[in-house]
Amino acid sequence: MTDDVVEPLVRSIRDFAKGNIRSLEIDREHTIPPAVLRGLGELGLFGVTLPTEWGGAGLTAVDATRVVIALAEIDRSVATTVGLHLGLGTRGLVAWGTRAQQEKWLPSLAAGEAIAAFATTEPEAGSDLSALKAVAVAGPDGRLRLSGTKLYVTNAGFASVLTVTASTPGLGGAARGTSLLLVDPKSPGALIQPEERKLGLRGSSTCAFIFEDVTLAPDAVLGEPGQGAAQLAHVLSWGRMLLSAGCVGTARTALKAALEHVHQRRQFQRALIQQEVVQQRLARASAVAYGMSALVQTAASAEKDWELLSRLTTSSKVFCSEGGFELADLAIQLHGGSGYIEDTGMAVLMRDARVTRIFEGANDVLLTHAGLMELTAPAKVPTDEVLAPLWKAVTARREAMGSGIRALNRRAQQHALGWAVAWRDAATAATLLARTPVEQACAALLREEAITVSSAQPLPAGPTAVLTAALLEGVLP
Amino acid sequence: MTDDILTQRIFKMMAQLSVVRVPDIKMEHRLREDLGLDSVCSMELLSMLAEELDLDVPMEEAAQVTTVAGTVEMARRHLALKQAAAAS
Repeated sequence: MTDDVVEPLVRSIRDFAKGNIRSLEIDREHTIPPAVLRGLGELGLFGVTLPTEWGGAGLTAVDATRVVIALAEIDRSVATTVGLHLGLGTRGLVAWGTRAQQEKWLPSLAAGEAIAAFATTEPEAGSDLSALKAVAVAGPDGRLRLSGTKLYVTNAGFASVLTVTASTPGLGGAARGTSLLLVDPKSPGALIQPEERKLGLRGSSTCAFIFEDVTLAPDAVLGEPGQGAAQLAHVLSWGRMLLSAGCVGTARTALKAALEHVHQRRQFQRALIQQEVVQQRLARASAVAYGMSALVQTAASAEKDWELLSRLTTSSKVFCSEGGFELADLAIQLHGGSGYIEDTGMAVLMRDARVTRIFEGANDVLLTHAGLMELTAPAKVPTDEVLAPLWKAVTARREAMGSGIRALNRRAQQHALGWAVAWRDAATAATLLARTPVEQACAALLREEAITVSSAQPLPAGPTAVLTAALLEGVLP
Repeated sequence: MTDDILTQRIFKMMAQLSVVRVPDIKMEHRLREDLGLDSVCSMELLSMLAEELDLDVPMEEAAQVTTVAGTVEMARRHLALKQAAAAS
């Protein structure tokens, strides 16, 4: 697929948005008007990554990220609804669905007549998947009985099919295996709960589901029974990739709005853009936004290499969600008092961006995990002389932790290493993709900051230990 | 430490990370498929081994272990190496 198809699609999205998508209204009313969802379906957006055989466009992951970026530039709730459908919602069905499962669901999902959702978080299992309590037990007739509670299910209110993670004891010969299950939310015993009231993304639907002994046919299992943990890792890669793309859209909108404002707003007899501090903050913000975009493109380009995709989307999720939030905050700051007023549209940008640092893997957990992965399977230092100093800085940080399993107990250091890895990956992606002098300047700035991040000192041990002990005893300063 | 005591200590660590109880853990169980330990939990298990048994196993070697028996054997081997080093 080339720009010949994606560019016109992005233009169509922007044209459609001009007359139909009113972001402030979506935020205020806590809903996306059904006509907007219908219109997006008619544009083919719900089928962009689905196979052409079932009515989708069969676009690449890179193309899908461009679609989600374009949507997020306009409205983050809309981008989240479509992105969730394309990533977490349908990825399992596309990757492991049998012909019968695909034939049943994909045509309507590709047309946008049906919308997909994904249910994994539970009251006692967020980032810790081994704590999943939802369970599906096979009876003598091969049918499964699903019980459990799932929280924060995006697209829940209008979903026609859910992909649900559940423990499936005994299935596929695994005593404690996990499986991905296709569940019709209208099945008897599948009880949807009221819409959550949220800080942001108010137009997207978020509900809990309680499953009370829901009967599922044996063909509700996606792919090999008991392989849900590995499947989940891949589905989450897609979710994180498209979530990161949404962050790029937010960052671009924030940056554009901030730039417009600082050119117009005059203080101390000159435009804000004439102030050196403002210039430096925007220069760095531009570099971060470019790094976000480059990392998303690089991660999506790895769609066929699932291991690399998983590693890069972990980096992109943390880098882009932190960057998107930071840029939305900067846009408010540069707008001054008006940024705090809802009508300028800056406040909703920041509120919408806040959750991206939490969902699809809380950033602190992902950073610790990224550090762990770098410890156990270190990436190879490239020979490129521009990139080598940056990669060596991360390697030095890793080697300082030791090469044995004792390093696994140093969680704060793993977290710091994970952040260094995320910066390294963003700076590397930016360096490899930069073509113009401005892009090369962005990449150079990112490389310098990435090396600084790699060599950041931990908190001083003595005072930190005293404060931690005090906090554990409930003593506040 | 006898083999039985070592095995029981490792089973207890595994049970802390899994919903499978100590009496139900078998040597032939696989960490992921049978105990439900994903990659993060498996690393958590190694972290507990390092802490509670005062072991330091090279990361590459530890990352290869996928079963209960493999975990016990790795711990046994490295404890023996440690004792031999201390005695020499």
